Amino acid sequence: MERLNVNLNGLELKNPIMTASGTYGYADEYNDFIDVSNLGAIVTKAISLKPREGNKHLRITETKAGMINSIGLENVGIDEFLKIKLPILQANNIEYVMNVAGSTIDEYVQMAKICNDNSIKAIELNVSCPNVKSGCLEFGVDENSLYELVSAVRKEYKGFLIVKLTPNVTSIEKLGIAAEKAGANAISAINTLKGTSIKINCFNGKIQKTIVSGGYSGIGIKPVAISAVYRLSKVVNIPIIGIGGIETLEDVLEFFAAGAKAVQIGTANFTHPETAEKLVFELNDYIIKNGFKNLEELQKELRA
Amino acid sequence: MDNNKSKKIYKAKVFNIEKVSKSSHYIEIECEKPVNVKAGQFISIYCDGLTLRRPFSVFSNNNGKIGVLFKERGKGTEYIKSLKPNSVIDIAGPFGNGFDIQNKKALLIGAGIGVAPISFLKSKLNETHIENIFASGFLNKEEIPNNIQIDKVYTDDGSFGEKGSILNYLEKLIKEYQPEIIYACGPQIVLKTAAELGEKYGVETQVAMEKVMACGIGVCRGCVINIKKDGTVQNATVCKDGPVFKGNEVVWND
Repeated sequence: MERLNVNLNGLELKNPIMTASGTYGYADEYNDFIDVSNLGAIVTKAISLKPREGNKHLRITETKAGMINSIGLENVGIDEFLKIKLPILQANNIEYVMNVAGSTIDEYVQMAKICNDNSIKAIELNVSCPNVKSGCLEFGVDENSLYELVSAVRKEYKGFLIVKLTPNVTSIEKLGIAAEKAGANAISAINTLKGTSIKINCFNGKIQKTIVSGGYSGIGIKPVAISAVYRLSKVVNIPIIGIGGIETLEDVLEFFAAGAKAVQIGTANFTHPETAEKLVFELNDYIIKNGFKNLEELQKELRA
Repeated sequence: MDNNKSKKIYKAKVFNIEKVSKSSHYIEIECEKPVNVKAGQFISIYCDGLTLRRPFSVFSNNNGKIGVLFKERGKGTEYIKSLKPNSVIDIAGPFGNGFDIQNKKALLIGAGIGVAPISFLKSKLNETHIENIFASGFLNKEEIPNNIQIDKVYTDDGSFGEKGSILNYLEKLIKEYQPEIIYACGPQIVLKTAAELGEKYGVETQVAMEKVMACGIGVCRGCVINIKKDGTVQNATVCKDGPVFKGNEVVWND
């Protein structure tokens, strides 16, 4: 299936179908359903410098068109990842991008160094963590903070650097431009939307409320994501990886048409764990059936 | 595609669906080939148009047909209830660890819809001739599924068996029956009480927990509870590390 090969500004993948951070664990879990090595790449669960326990309260709830999560970046920490999880990915021949999360620039920089020293080929920066220095704003919502962060990471990390943008901003274009200027090799968009669900139950005349606030994902966010990718594609020159509510081949094509060179599958992995692999095969069939030479040609036509 | 790779997800046919009590239903799902399931493990069912698959403890597994008991609680179970024989559905599993069956005289406790995995466990214990007694509590007579065999029934309103919550009878049951192990599934208060009484009387307990899940395979970390292990409090996923935990390991903080 060489026709699906894609070159993202230096990162060569066998196909443009990736899986989104937080929805694919460290990938080996999905070998019960599919052959994960068939995917372009998986993005690991966010890894932080130290292990994180995550949030205490109710962590997930379903919404009309997706779900809200407030996992709180629970993860094994970078040492454990390198020792235990990385060898599994390597042994299974799985192409991966490591998602990196931190709370201070210093933490990100330390992680960048470790990734560099361990020859991690590609990382994706999760910039939706609160930046203590700028009054607990997320790095990803302020173009100056983002520029500073990405520049600092860039200095220490020679591999392929993806910056994952949050949609919870007034102008995602400004953030994209800042990331590119600071030396990012690609942008992935979008992270989850801010969402809250309040489920109300009345039991014996008493109101009971179940409140979950966190990141909204799933099919409902697709138009927001398409819009973000579309707008970003007009202002940045680095490749964009589209994320947000992808379930079907039509969704993938829509992202390509909006300007994405690759996509990540997120929440759909929970609904149908075989989705990502299915999309690889369907995309391949679509290219053959419609007489395109390869993915590159299809994407060119979709964007014309 | 290599079929062995997709071993944990299947298209299956509804063989039978029927109402078995006032608010619960039984659905029997015919799989393409027999699936090995341990008591306490669960399957997840894709519900048309909904993002999250719904997890159900397995109630029976005979001749390639997996049975599940469910109560109508929301959109997912509403969909499942609407299925008809021969409807094709998408199921995945079995997931989770299941009960660690010991060759010990067992007290089985199932409360409400928690009777499902306990009833399955009882059939496994009976097959291997392990002595057991199955006690169960319901709101009233109408809530008792008509397709299970329970040794001791308690109803809150006394309309069947002994009157009162099973919670009030647990200690008496342990004293009278002298079990060497307790297996339980049901509302958290029942599991917690069973675990505490197990501790008090020096009886091992295994409890099957429940929590809202997204992935069912341990990746999303959505269904995490706290357990005590190796001298520390750790996170454990109900879907993959559980749903069955040792009663004395669970931190009952909810």
